[in-house]
Parts: sequence; C-alpha cells; structure tokens
Amino acid sequence: MKTQISKTCLRGLLPVLLLIFAAGPAYSAEGGVVQIYKHATAPFDNEKQVDAALSLPIKFVQVTESYQGGRFWTETRKDKIQRFKCSQCHNNKPVSVAQAAEIAHGQIALDHGSEARPLSCYSCHNKAERDFLETEQGMKVDMDHTYQLCGQCHFRQKKDWVGGAHGKRISYWAGQRVVKNCTSCHDPHSPRFKKRWPAIYSPPLSKGK
Amino acid sequence: MDPRKNKICQKPAEKNCRQSRADGRREFLKAAARVAAFGGAAMLSGCGGGMLGSKEELSLRWKEYFKKNYRLMTQAEKDETVRRLERLAKLNNNVNVQMSSAPPIDGVLYGYAFSVTRCKGYMECVAACVKENNLDRKSNMQYIRIFEMEHGQMSPEVGNAKFYHPVPVEDHFYMGVQCNHCQNPPCVKACPVKATWQEPDGIVVVDYDWCIGCRYCIAACPYYGRRFNWNEAVVPKEEMTKKQHYLGNRLRHRGKTEKCTFCIQRTRAGRLPACAEACPTGARVFGNLLDPDSEIRFVLKNKKVFRWKEDLGTDPKFWYFID
Repeated sequence: MKTQISKTCLRGLLPVLLLIFAAGPAYSAEGGVVQIYKHATAPFDNEKQVDAALSLPIKFVQVTESYQGGRFWTETRKDKIQRFKCSQCHNNKPVSVAQAAEIAHGQIALDHGSEARPLSCYSCHNKAERDFLETEQGMKVDMDHTYQLCGQCHFRQKKDWVGGAHGKRISYWAGQRVVKNCTSCHDPHSPRFKKRWPAIYSPPLSKGK
Repeated sequence: MDPRKNKICQKPAEKNCRQSRADGRREFLKAAARVAAFGGAAMLSGCGGGMLGSKEELSLRWKEYFKKNYRLMTQAEKDETVRRLERLAKLNNNVNVQMSSAPPIDGVLYGYAFSVTRCKGYMECVAACVKENNLDRKSNMQYIRIFEMEHGQMSPEVGNAKFYHPVPVEDHFYMGVQCNHCQNPPCVKACPVKATWQEPDGIVVVDYDWCIGCRYCIAACPYYGRRFNWNEAVVPKEEMTKKQHYLGNRLRHRGKTEKCTFCIQRTRAGRLPACAEACPTGARVFGNLLDPDSEIRFVLKNKKVFRWKEDLGTDPKFWYFID
C-alpha cells in the first residue's frame, strides 16, 4: 500500500521535475552565445573608446549606398590608377608622345566574363568621357564608386559587400566603417584570384597531421 | 607562517596532543619556509643567465615572482607589473616595449566568421599572426592552421595542413582553424591553477606567469587551439612587435601554454586582428556580436553558417560560412 502511494507520487512528480530541469541553464545550441547575441538589439556606440579608421593616411569617399541605415566609406580608386586622368591622352587632340604604345596600357590582358561572352573595354569604360565608367543603362560612374558598376552583374556580391559579408574593413573593427573597394582586391580586367605560392609553410604538428 | 595551520595544530594541543610535537611541526614548517625562500632566491638569480643581474633587475624579478594572478590584481597593480615587464624587456633584451593592460570594452563580445568559400589558402594570415604575436621562430609555432580539403570533406581532421604548392588547387577548399574562443571553454575547466579564463569580451586568455605548464588545457581543447612553449620564445629583435598586451603577445617563457587571443592588443584598441587585416581575399570577418549593425551579425543573419564540432557543446564564437 505504502509503495503504491509513493509510486504514484513519484509519477506525479516526474513531469514537474522534468519541467524544472528543462527550464534550468542547460547548455544547448539554442542557449549560449546564439541567445546572447540574438537578444542584443541595442545599437553599439561604435565611436567610443576606439581610434577612428578615418584618421588613417588613406583617402576615402562616402559610399552612396547606406549600410544598415548608416553611412560608410570606401577607399578611393582614382589616386591608385597610374596616369589618371585618362583624358590627358584620350582626348580629341593628336597624341605626340614617343613610344606611345609602350607607355599606353597594352599590357592589359582582359579576362573578365564567361568564355562564351567575354567583356570588352567599353563594357565598363565610358567611350565618350574616358575619366568615367558606364553602366549598361548608360549611367556615368565615377572611378571611385566602381561598386555601382560591378554591382549591375555581381548584385549578390554587392549586397554582401554593403552588408559586410563580402570584402573587408580597413584596419578597424570599430569606429566609422571604412571598407575596401571592389578594385582594392580584384583586378578589374582579370578579377579572379590568381594561383600562387602560399606566404608561409605550416610545419607538421605531430605524426600524420 | 600560515596562521590557519597554526590554529589547526594548536587546538588538539590543548586537549591530547603533546605540546612538544606541535612545536616540532611548527619548527619544521619554519625551517621549510626558510629553505623555500632561499631556494626561490637561488632560482631567481639562476634565471639571470647564471649570474646575478643588476640590483634593479633582481628586485624587479623578485616582485614579478611574487605577484598575484592577473584577475586578482587591482588596476594599479596591473599597471605596476606592466611597468616592471617593460623595464625588464629593456634590461634583458634592450627593446623598448609598450605594454598595455587595457580592460575589455563595455558592450562588446567578439565573434569571428571564416568563409570556406572565399579562402584560397594563401596563408597570409598565418604569416601575419606569427609576426604580430611574437611567436617562437625556433619551433615554428603557428596559431592558425589552414586545412586543404577536397570538396565533400566535412572535417579538417581529414584535411591536409602541410600543403606547400601553388594554391588554390581545383576541387579543393580551405578551412582555417584556430582558437574558437568558446563561450563554454573546456580548456578553462581543465586548468588546475586558474591560469586561463574567459574575459568579459569573450576572449579566452592565459596568464603566462601563472601557468604551470601542465598542458591539461591542450588535452582538453577539441580544436587544437593551444600551443606549448618547449623553449624560451626566440624572436629577432628587429621583427618583434613592440606594442604588447599583458594577456597577449608579450614574450613567453619556456613551459607556458599560449593561444590565439584575437590579437587582444589590437582588438581592444578597436583594430582588427592581424589575420583578418592580412587576409587578401576577405574570408575573415571580425566584429562585435552585441552590435546589431556589425558585419559579423550580418553574416550570422544572412549566410549559411556552421560551427566546427558544435555537438560538443563548447559553444564556439568562431563560425564558418558559405556563400
């Protein structure tokens, strides 16, 4: 009789105990850091206590897109192009330079686009105004804002770049958001990363590894 | 003498313990303490290259030897030990080190994301890490390992980390492995002397001066994130990173465990870790998990992410993502 009562008592207690343990701080994939960051919704004051990337000795321009509602900047391109402005030579006047073929950009090997439909110079460059680029719709694009041009085909990459999953920030994780330009990493004429030797060799850790 | 021990000994002495015995034990402990102090002094002087260093150096070493665990120090004590270590670096190696004891920034929890699609195995991150963190050049220590894996392989344990040929190789992808800075770190639990812990900003750090070199943490880590110094760190003076942090890239001694600290000396000053800054392909995303506008949060929200060995319950703050 006594055992019967205790058994029923135990049976009644079981779900209660289960509930208590389930509510406890059990470590699972749902808990832990995922819950911590999902509950963090207050905006972080990015400019406190840290140096600003804008103070770096590099030139930046503000991007016309908005990043999660805020402004962000990108590295300039024009100051990295040798012999910019292009219109110094590409104008209507005859070019009177010795070895013009040598100093011109004959070394550029265009390897952009699929084999079936490769791009040509004027796919991107503005034919009339050589200091600018041109989209398919005929919009003039500044050389510092190449993402506007690249993004017309590589729209997924552009979306990721604006959000932060493609490309990278320059030097600082905090402070004003300054990111690399498309052309900081990709050669626009041959954008695929090249095969090359690794920078360093990893010695084996232990046998077989 | 330890007053606690005396009390324990005195209490039974009043009742049935013979007074002479208690005295004997006390005397023995006193003598033992004297021997220990003498041995400690001898050991300290032994560290100074076989000879006694200058008086200043000896006094600095003495104070360093008896300092507390970093977590128990007040900010003033932290500043003192940092100043001592800077001075010792000047006296021993003639380098002007700027050491910091910067505390964590409020409202920050660091997280890392690594794109297995984008990494091409160029190993620029490894080279930058070795340079930034003053890793031992003699034993070729590296915190990061890049595994070359065939398409379809799922775990770096079957990958090749010893590759040295032009990369990327067709039909292969590259997966970088380093300390995962687990939110539930097994290495911290394994440490018998509390020389390793998780900082409020999520970085798992080691107090190199408190570590006894038992390597339990190395055995406990499922990610192979920790390294052991079998010799004093050998770093050429001209290659040394002078901006250091007490918990970060200061020179390690023999018999100490060390690990990736997300470049604590850089990240606490708002900069990216050296590996993320060096990456030529943008495969490495670093940021504040508590900031809803950070890049890392964008990746976690919009990309297919996974964590290595998530089933172990270590809760890593190091995600891998796929485009």
